[in-house]
Amino acid sequence: MKPRAETLLTGALLLLLGWLVMVPAASVLVSGADVTALRRLLSGTAILTNTLLMGAATSLSAVAIGAALALVMARTDLPGRGMLEPLTLLPLYVTPLLTAIAWSWLGSPRGGLVNLVTQRLAGFSLIDLHGAAGVVFVASLAYAPVPFLLIAAGLRAMDPSLEDSARVHGASLRFAFAHVTLPLMLPSALGALVLVFVQTMGLFSIPAVLGVPGGFTVIATEIYRLLNTYPPRLGQAAAWGLVLLAITLLAVLLQNRLLAKRSFVTITGKAFRPRLIAMGRARWLLAGFVWLYIGLAVALPVATLIWASLVNFLTIDPALMAFDLRHFAYVLFTYPKALMAARNSLLLGVVTASLIVALSLGAGWVVVRRRNLGATAVEYLAMAPLAIPSIVLALGVLWTYAGLDLLPIYGTVAILLVAYLAHFMPFGVRALSGALRQLHPELEDAARVSGAGLLHTLRRVVWPLTRPTLAAVWTLVFVLTLQEVSASILLYTSRSVVLSVAMFDLWEAGTLNGLAALGVMQLAITFAALSLLARFRQRGVAA
Amino acid sequence: MTDAVRVEELVVTYGPVAAVDRVSFQVREAEHLTLLGPSGCGKTTTLRAVAGLERPSGGRIAIGGASVFDGARRIDVPPEARGLSMVFQSYAIWPHMSVAENVAFPFRARGVANSVARPAVARALALVDLAAYADRSATMLSGGQQQRVALARAIAFGTRLVLFDEPLSNLDAQLRLQMREELADLRRRLGFAAIYVTHDQDEAFSLSDRIVLMRGGRIEQQGTPSDLHAAPRTRFAAAFLGVRNIIDADIAHGHATLANGLLLPVRDDGPPGPAAIAFRPGAVVLGRGTPATIERVLFAGDQLQLLLRAGPVDVIAYARPQSGLEEGTTIMWHVAAGDCRVLRE
Ligand SMILES: Nc1ncnc2c1ncn2[C@@H]1O[C@H](COP(=O)(O)OP(=O)(O)OP(=O)(O)O)[C@@H](O)[C@H]1O
Ligand SMILES: [Mg+2]
Repeated sequence: MKPRAETLLTGALLLLLGWLVMVPAASVLVSGADVTALRRLLSGTAILTNTLLMGAATSLSAVAIGAALALVMARTDLPGRGMLEPLTLLPLYVTPLLTAIAWSWLGSPRGGLVNLVTQRLAGFSLIDLHGAAGVVFVASLAYAPVPFLLIAAGLRAMDPSLEDSARVHGASLRFAFAHVTLPLMLPSALGALVLVFVQTMGLFSIPAVLGVPGGFTVIATEIYRLLNTYPPRLGQAAAWGLVLLAITLLAVLLQNRLLAKRSFVTITGKAFRPRLIAMGRARWLLAGFVWLYIGLAVALPVATLIWASLVNFLTIDPALMAFDLRHFAYVLFTYPKALMAARNSLLLGVVTASLIVALSLGAGWVVVRRRNLGATAVEYLAMAPLAIPSIVLALGVLWTYAGLDLLPIYGTVAILLVAYLAHFMPFGVRALSGALRQLHPELEDAARVSGAGLLHTLRRVVWPLTRPTLAAVWTLVFVLTLQEVSASILLYTSRSVVLSVAMFDLWEAGTLNGLAALGVMQLAITFAALSLLARFRQRGVAA
Repeated sequence: MTDAVRVEELVVTYGPVAAVDRVSFQVREAEHLTLLGPSGCGKTTTLRAVAGLERPSGGRIAIGGASVFDGARRIDVPPEARGLSMVFQSYAIWPHMSVAENVAFPFRARGVANSVARPAVARALALVDLAAYADRSATMLSGGQQQRVALARAIAFGTRLVLFDEPLSNLDAQLRLQMREELADLRRRLGFAAIYVTHDQDEAFSLSDRIVLMRGGRIEQQGTPSDLHAAPRTRFAAAFLGVRNIIDADIAHGHATLANGLLLPVRDDGPPGPAAIAFRPGAVVLGRGTPATIERVLFAGDQLQLLLRAGPVDVIAYARPQSGLEEGTTIMWHVAAGDCRVLRE
C-alpha cells in the first residue's frame, strides 16, 4: 500500500526538524561532556553565578514590569490605552544590542552623557551602568514586552464573570484580585518567566556591551572569548554550552511540572469584553508609569542613537556639536563590511522568514490535525528550541559543520540559516497552530471530499485562510533575523558578516557614530517592514 | 413587610444609549420574579445593576429595605456589601479551586470561621446532589455539574436574595427541564427571593410568581403568569407570549371588522377605530362560523397545526387529527368573543 500524503509529510518534517534541532543539541552534549573540563569550569569562577544572577534577576523583574503593564493596559481605564499598547511593544524591535549601546553612552561611569551633565551641574556622577546592575536594568527593559504580551493575552482570555462572581459573593476588590485574578494569571506569568529566563541565560549582546567593561562576565561572553582566543578553545566553549543547556532544560522541566498540576488554563477562544476598573485620579499615575517605561526602553535610547548618528562626536557641549550625514556616508561608502552585511542580512531574513513560514504551516497542520505519535514528536521537536539558548544552538551548529566536508556550509551564510531556522521554529509553529485551531476542520474535509489532495488542500484552503498569520510570522521572523546577535556572533566568518555582527564590530572598534548610523538604518528597515505588514492587515480586514 | 428588592426609575446607559430606561419593579420576600424579553432588551444589565456590577446613571435600588443605590443621594454600595448571591450564565466556577472551595468562597471572603462554613458547605452540596464531588477539581465537571456547583455556591451562605442570569440556557433540553423543577423545589424549601433572567417564555411561566416583560430597555408589561397569559396588552407582548394570530381590524360596537370583511364579536369597551385583534391558535373553533381554505397542515406534537386562509387574512388553528382536514378543502371556523383580545398599542 502506498503511504498516504499525511504520513509522508509527518515523516519529512520529523527528519528535517530532527536534523535542524537534534543534531546541534546532540553535538553540544557529545563535545561538552568532558568531565575534567566541566569540573574546572565550575570551580572557582564567578561566571556561573553571574549568569544565574543575570537570568534570575532579569526574568523576575521583566515579568514584574510586564505583569504591571499588562494589568494597567488590559484592566484599567488608562488614558490613551490604544496608543500606549503598540508603543509598549517597540522594545522588541529596537533590539537589545542597540538599547544596550545607547544606554552605555548614557550611563557609563565616566563618559556617560547623563554623568557628564550631572558632573557639570552638580559635580558628581549619577549612574553607573557598567556591571551586573546595568545589565539587569537594560535586559529587563528590553525583555518586558514578552511577559506583557503573554500576560495581557491571558487576562483578556479570562471570563470576567469569574471576578464578578467573587464580588457578588462577598469579596472586596482587593480580595477578589488576590484570590481569583492573581491565581488565574499565574500560569501565563510562570510561562513568561521561564521563556525570558531561557532567553537571557544565553544572552550575549547586553552583557558584552555593559557587563564586560565592568568586569561582569557571563557564560555567553565567555564562550565568545574562548572562541576568539588563539587557538580557539572549542572544547571548553562546548562544556560551557552544556552547562547552559542543562540549566535551561531544568527550568523548562520545572515549569512543566508546575503547570501540569494547574491544568486549568482553558482556552475557549471566546472574546470577552474586558471589565475596566475605574482608577480615578490614580490613572494618571499609572499612565506616568507606562510612559516612564516607554521613555526608558525606547524613546531615550532611540533618541540617543539618532542624535549620535548625526552629531560630529559624542559631547554634551552645544557649542561643539555639528550635525551632518557624514556617518551615514561613512558606513555606506567607506566602511567595507556594511554593504556586504546588509546584503547578507536581507538575504538571510527573506530566506529564513520564507522557510519558517512554509515549515510552520506544515508542522502546525500536522500538530493540530493529526494528533498521533508522529504529530506529538513533530510538536516536541519544533518546540524544543524554546529550551535551548541560541548561543548553545550556534555552538552545536559550529561543532557539527566546522570541517564537515559532506555538507560544506561552514564559512557561508547557510550555516547561519541552519541556526536561525531552528531558533525561530517554535515561534512560527506556535503562531500557526494557534491560527489552525481557529479554523474549522470541516473546511478542509470539504476540500478533500471534493477531490483535492492534501497538498492541494493546504495550498488552496489552509494557506489563504491563514494568510494574515503567515504574513505576521514572515514579517516578525524577518525583523528578528536582522537583529539576531547571540548565534550570529559565533557563526560568521569574514565572508558571511551580517548587520548585527557589523554593529558589534564597529562597537569593538570604537567607531561609535558610524555604529549609530548603521543602527538607525536597521531601525528604518525594521519599521518599513512592520508598516507594510500593518498595511497588509488593514487591507485584509477591509476585504 | 419590606420588599426583598425595590427598583425605581432605574436607568443604565452605555455612552449615548440607554440599555435600561426608567425600569421599576418590586420583588416581595420569597417571591420569584422573572425578567423576560428578547435578546438585547436589557435583562442582564438590570440584573447586574441590582448586583452592583453595573453602575446605573440614575434611579434607586433598595435590597431588604436598605438603599444600595440612589443616584440623587450618591449612594452606591459595592457588590460584596449587598448581601446577595448570583448564578452566572457561564456558571463562573473558579478553575483553580475544588468544588468545596468554590462553594466555601462566600464564607471565606466574608471572614466566616471554618467551623461555621464547613457544615453549611456540606449541606449545600448535599442539596444539589454533589456531596460526593466535594474534593474534585472544578474543571473536571460536566456542564450540568458545574451548574449545580454554581447553584450550591449561591445558596450556601443563605442570602435572602439570589440572582439568576439565564442559568439553564447552556444545558440540553432534557436536563433543562429537570433542573427547572429542582430549582423551583429548592427555592420553595429555602424561601429566598429570586430575580431570574430568561428569554424562554416556558421557563418564565413555569417558575415565576410574577413576570416583568421587557423590550428595548423598558418594561412592556408586568403581572402574574396568568395575567400575562390571559391579557397581553400590546402587540409585542402578545407575539412574544405565543399568541400567534394578531390581525389588523376595525373595532366598533362590540365587533371587529377584518380586511376580508369578516365580522368577529369582541368584548371591548374602548373607543372605536383601527386596532388589532389577537387570539391563540387553540381558541379557534372549527366546524361553525365562516368559511376558509386549509392552506397547509403540519404535525405539531400530538395535534395538527392548520394554516387557514380567508381572502387576505391568514389564521393559525390547532385541531385534533381527524378526517376532512386535507389541504385545499374548505372549513368553517370562529372565535368566541371572550377569547379574542383587542390590542390598541
Ligand atoms: N458593556 C456594554 N457596553 C456597551 N453596550 C452594552 C454593554 N453591555 C450591554 N450593552 C448593550 O445594552 C443592551 C442590553 O444588553 P443586555 O446584556 O442587558 O441584554 P439582555 O437582555 O441580557 O440580552 P441577552 O438575552 O442577549 O443576554 C444591548 O443592546 C447591549 O448591546
Ligand atoms: Mg443577557
